[in-house]
Amino acid sequence: MARKSVVLKVSGLTKAFGPVVIVDGFNLEVAAGEAVALTGRNGAGKSTVLRCLIGADRPDDGRIEVNGVAVSETNPLIRRDVATVIDDLDFFPDLSVVEHLDLLARAHGVPDPEAAVDAVLDEVQLVPQSGQLPGTLSSGQRRRLALATAFVRPRKLLVLDEPEQRLDTEGVAWLAERLIAERRQGLAIVMASHEPMLVEKVATRVVRLGERARVVEESGE
Amino acid sequence: MSKKSRKLIRSGATSAPAEAQPTPTEETVEPARSFYFLPATEPLPVAEADLHQLMKLWRHGRATRTIGQVISDGYVALFSVLLVSAMIISTVINAQQGMTGCSTQACDTGRLLVPSAVALAGFALAVAVSRLFGPVLASAAEGSWLMEAPISRSRLLRGRLVIPLIAALVVPVLVTGLVAALSGMEWASVAAWAAAAGAGALAMVAFAANEQTHDRDTVLAVLQGVWTAAALAVGLVVISVAAGWLSASWITTATTVRPVVYALVVAGLALAVVMVVAALRRLDLIRRARLVSGGSLVAGMQGAMFALDFGLIRDILVERKAAAKGHVKPTFGRGTGLTALIWRDAQRLLRAPGVFIGLVMSLLVPYAADALRMSQLNPLLSGLALTAALVPFLGSLRVLTRTGGLARMMPFKTGELRGAAMVVPGAMAVLWALAATPAFIGIASTGADRSLTDGLSAAMITAAAGLFGAVRWVTAKKPDFGQPMMATASGALPPTLIFNLVRGFDMVALITAPLILGAPAYWSAGIAVVVFLLLRSPINMEDMQAEQEAARRELAAAKAGSKAGSPGAKTKIPPPKR
Repeated sequence: MARKSVVLKVSGLTKAFGPVVIVDGFNLEVAAGEAVALTGRNGAGKSTVLRCLIGADRPDDGRIEVNGVAVSETNPLIRRDVATVIDDLDFFPDLSVVEHLDLLARAHGVPDPEAAVDAVLDEVQLVPQSGQLPGTLSSGQRRRLALATAFVRPRKLLVLDEPEQRLDTEGVAWLAERLIAERRQGLAIVMASHEPMLVEKVATRVVRLGERARVVEESGE
Repeated sequence: MSKKSRKLIRSGATSAPAEAQPTPTEETVEPARSFYFLPATEPLPVAEADLHQLMKLWRHGRATRTIGQVISDGYVALFSVLLVSAMIISTVINAQQGMTGCSTQACDTGRLLVPSAVALAGFALAVAVSRLFGPVLASAAEGSWLMEAPISRSRLLRGRLVIPLIAALVVPVLVTGLVAALSGMEWASVAAWAAAAGAGALAMVAFAANEQTHDRDTVLAVLQGVWTAAALAVGLVVISVAAGWLSASWITTATTVRPVVYALVVAGLALAVVMVVAALRRLDLIRRARLVSGGSLVAGMQGAMFALDFGLIRDILVERKAAAKGHVKPTFGRGTGLTALIWRDAQRLLRAPGVFIGLVMSLLVPYAADALRMSQLNPLLSGLALTAALVPFLGSLRVLTRTGGLARMMPFKTGELRGAAMVVPGAMAVLWALAATPAFIGIASTGADRSLTDGLSAAMITAAAGLFGAVRWVTAKKPDFGQPMMATASGALPPTLIFNLVRGFDMVALITAPLILGAPAYWSAGIAVVVFLLLRSPINMEDMQAEQEAARRELAAAKAGSKAGSPGAKTKIPPPKR
């Protein structure tokens, strides 16, 4: 059987904030159709690893590549291929929910943006809020909108930091199904999560991080 | 998923902090807990005065110096203030005496209309600030701790009403009095105009407080519009008379209308008293959310002011406005790629046409500068006005640059994104330049005298300066307190904090400087091009250093690799076995 292509390759990733080393020589490879879940206690460095993966934080050492391209937050190729849901997502205060998705779909050249937006909006159950401005959304609705921004555009790697946050039980179940479908479509997924059900259902590989984001245990395929 | 994975997930959810080695799941023994419940007795009655006294005690308890020590330490500052105040007053008196001698029609017009315009603008500002903050407000802490208690709110809030009322009285009196004195009015007229401005603003704030107790805003919004329009109209008349476009024969002297001003003072004070009494009676009825909203806004703006982050202050106001609006009629965009971004910016203008009012108002500046014989400084003054007017058009650029989240989602280079976000504001700047060209050619009888080409190029350069000033203003980074600090008399400060004071205005001054100094326009155009390139794709020193470091590491790794595997590398050959 042919080996699946590697989408994300991380080698020797190191990140420190002042004298405190958060991530120390972290290595990871994620192939297409694979979902890797990073678990570990608070402060283990999961979010820092993810922020480095998408270029939001600059690593002190190590190399990160997506489809062979060195990761840089400003590189349009990386921006095209990597969809992210982390906590630093900002919104245009004067654009409604549906307009955000429409703008994103059009910016990525989605062939039928209106249909794509309608479908995703329906899926994240934000149709009644489609005309609302982001400032008036509840924290859960904002999370759904953030997830919708990742699903309304083309992507090859999905990076999610605790995507289950602020979602209700049904929302977490939906998210799990959606991520499984994404994985089956050949998408590579890296996510940090504290939700055992989500990790159990979605992840093909679980990487448990200890102090300094060192891999304590790895299981799965 | 494998059994091992499932076991790992279950242990991760409940286990103790991870160690360097895999840890087996340990059974944890929950410590015995005890819970506290209030005794089943009636609570004692609470007196507001006691609560206030308690808070005062806490505050005084934290004081580290007495008032005497503070005064003793601050005597230098006190003398400085006295000295500077004396100089200002002396200058104002001299200017007033100098201007009193002027009896031309232009002087009479200015004397009557300029203080009137300032007073009207003061009324509009009083209403606007009252609508924004309350005018009665309470901090979030008070909202949580005091408003929840079974006490009379009105006793707590009385002081909060007095403070804006005093500010509404004092600030317009000082500002209008200063302007009236500088215009050359007699002192009696100066006092009358200052009193009228103070009484009017006081009445506006008192009226706003009363409206706040009724949870109404419509009349205040109308009043704000009326006073703004009136101030603008009076300003236009001043410019038109100075430029010779309007006859000033109908304008009377400030002395003649003094009785009318006195009547306004009495009316303003009477309205203020009635409204304050009405508001005081209903202070208990103001909703907590509305009180705390103003307090939170003040707290947020204070925080932004400490960092001199004016962009953040504007963000807070924009978010607040959007939250109040809540809902819009969605519209689908057009095009794909960068076109979609540009089209969405254009659609935004239709949604918020109010931004055009500022743009049109900024057009008054070049014409006023020309009419008031300030043609030489016209590019600078007009550029600054245009900068302020174009900031609301750059909302898209602001959001795309303040955090990386949204820009990361767009499949474009940073320069392309920034360029696209400048297209619509750039088009507005070009339209502004075309409309302002007559002012730069010199339409007033006493104004500039340029050719059409020179006037058009001056207008275009001014528009570019205004646009790039606004772009710099919205895209400037907030001060980074993690960077090396700069030693100043006020202590250690991040260098960017100082530059924040002049951000935006620096670009306008830089681009218009050659025009002001009489150099050929192509110098300004050249500087504008360089500024555009830098603003479109800013040089990030951190990025450059990091790239340099990465390149250095790769080079070192490559060298180490080639040394190990190169043909010239010495290889140990084991001695042959005998």
